[in-house]
Amino acid sequence: MFRYYFLLGLRNLARNPILTLLMVLTLAVGVAASISTLTILHVMSGNPIPHKSARLLVPLVDNGPVKSYVPGSQPEDRQLSYRDAVNFQKSGLGEYRTAIYDVSGAIESARPDLPVEQLNGLAVDADFFPMFEVPFLYGSAWSRAEDTSRARVVVLSRNKSEKLFGKDNPVGRTLRIFGQDFRVVGVLDTWSPVPRYPRLINSSGGGLSGEDQGYIPFHTATDLELPNNASTSCQADERDPGYQGFLNSECTWIQFWFQTKSAADRVAVADYLRGYVAEQRKLGRLMRDAPPQLFDVMEWMRYMEVVSNDAHLAVWLSFGFLLLCLVNTTGLLLAKFSARAPEVGVRRALGATRGAIFRQFLVEAGVVGLAGGVLGLVLSAASLALIAKQARTLSVVAQMDWQMLALTFVLALVASLLAGLLPTWRACQVTPALQLKSQ
Amino acid sequence: MLRMQNLSKVYRTQMIETHALRGFEIHVREGEFVTVTGPSGSGKTTFLNIAGLLETFDEGEFTLDGLDVKNVSDDARSRLRNEKLGFIFQGFNLIPDLNLFDNVDVPLRYRGFSAAERAERIKSSLTQVGLASRMKHYPAELSGGQQQRVAIARALAGSPRLLLADEPTGNLDTQMARSVMELLEEINARGTTILMVTHDPELAVRAQRNVHIIDGQVSDLVRKMPSLVEPQRAASSLM
Repeated sequence: MFRYYFLLGLRNLARNPILTLLMVLTLAVGVAASISTLTILHVMSGNPIPHKSARLLVPLVDNGPVKSYVPGSQPEDRQLSYRDAVNFQKSGLGEYRTAIYDVSGAIESARPDLPVEQLNGLAVDADFFPMFEVPFLYGSAWSRAEDTSRARVVVLSRNKSEKLFGKDNPVGRTLRIFGQDFRVVGVLDTWSPVPRYPRLINSSGGGLSGEDQGYIPFHTATDLELPNNASTSCQADERDPGYQGFLNSECTWIQFWFQTKSAADRVAVADYLRGYVAEQRKLGRLMRDAPPQLFDVMEWMRYMEVVSNDAHLAVWLSFGFLLLCLVNTTGLLLAKFSARAPEVGVRRALGATRGAIFRQFLVEAGVVGLAGGVLGLVLSAASLALIAKQARTLSVVAQMDWQMLALTFVLALVASLLAGLLPTWRACQVTPALQLKSQ
Repeated sequence: MLRMQNLSKVYRTQMIETHALRGFEIHVREGEFVTVTGPSGSGKTTFLNIAGLLETFDEGEFTLDGLDVKNVSDDARSRLRNEKLGFIFQGFNLIPDLNLFDNVDVPLRYRGFSAAERAERIKSSLTQVGLASRMKHYPAELSGGQQQRVAIARALAGSPRLLLADEPTGNLDTQMARSVMELLEEINARGTTILMVTHDPELAVRAQRNVHIIDGQVSDLVRKMPSLVEPQRAASSLM
């Protein structure tokens, strides 16, 4: 019978085209508004590395001055000082460890006729690449030994490599960056996690869009005294002059990540951090009475407010709008189904039970929902395209995936069935004798 | 086939009580063609609605094909209507968006017949009323008489035990009314019991029996012997 009801529903779409169009359009607009905002929220708040996000941990210690500290408050900055980062590197904790900071410099071409290229990249440890499962097109990451030896090696992004070397494999070739010769050891395949969770604080596009064009060893960068190209926070009033003075200071500018073997190992890292803070306090550092913090990937994204309150509010508002659309659709379905009371009377007289009438009209409401879903999908795609045009940073997140596509149909269907409940129930209450005589 | 004893039906509003049927008694035997007459408001339609299980009654007894229907559930009443009864209405009550085939198909869908059996029954019943060649036409493309024939085909398709007709010729001109009446007589001659409400005295006397209702009660039973039915009609076939 479902097929019969479905075909009747399709036939009845064409019965009163203006009313049908109004219902489908109302539903589609409500669904499109909800799906557009939900898509953005979904991409922004999605887990970028679900299989190991609980094992990737960001440590945070508060090294701010005691005098300005309000107990219970969060640290002024969400990064670490060089001293803490280096100590964590040496801790030996977990499977992988990496410090990260932004570097920027000129790539001098061997040919004087070609312009100087800029490289906006990251200084990281060799562990960065397996930790974040970075795909390679050519070559590989440098080794831990090359971290220690402060080797002049670079890994390029695919885009930067193609810009510099075309489609050729540049592994083994030399680039002059930061006034030094760097050997290309690897080229990444396309890699653009959304959000850019490994380094949400950056100078190359923010947390959602943009790209790091190259990677050099962390200790090579500090050896070359490369400054941080992103946010740096210095709370202390005085520090020694020069780059070494900067490294020894309490300025915070480095992000750190641990990867543990299992999620349960998080406890060991937390214990280590508490011990570390106590030990540093004995040495006269980390004097604020603030416990160290540890975040996994999802906790870190929440802490960094990747999804703003505005995005959440937009979703609530859009679903409120969908509710209004549902109320309207209910009204229109009531009008449509009321006009069908004579048909209900005939069907009841010919043997349809109330249940059969309920199923027929609910399937018909579902058919309206499917039509609304198709149109809603088109409108969602159009509104996402419009949103992407409005802001470059949103262009990355204004993308509909299969999950959201399926959700569009499910939402339209559920919405239409909800909207159809009251009109369908009313249709079931038709008294056949009255309808048959009044025709 | 149908027996009502001391049956009453009262319509109540906040201000008024209307006794549509009171102490109503009737017994329709299998194979009978009974016409029901009476002035407007006498209770004819109420009687037919109760007989067709479209309305409930307040008191009395009502057995249909041997089944006491007083405390039967709404779903069971729907099944009984579908399996045992056929309806023909004054206004035809065809569904305008469905072609003739699909209109006749409606009760068969609820019966749960297979597609092949439904198709066979639809073709057979439309053939009986002489409209097999118009299966794909829509009701609006037919005359009133033809539409009533489709309604008869729809009522016949499920092989009902009892055919209930509420002024089936009321919206037709004399010639079409006669044609529809002849068709009903042919159907009755094949064994289907028919209960027909009519205002037309000429049609009323053509049945084997006429029941006259006044003020919700049977006022007079006019029994006609089968021999009084015109010989050519009695002998007519469905072909």
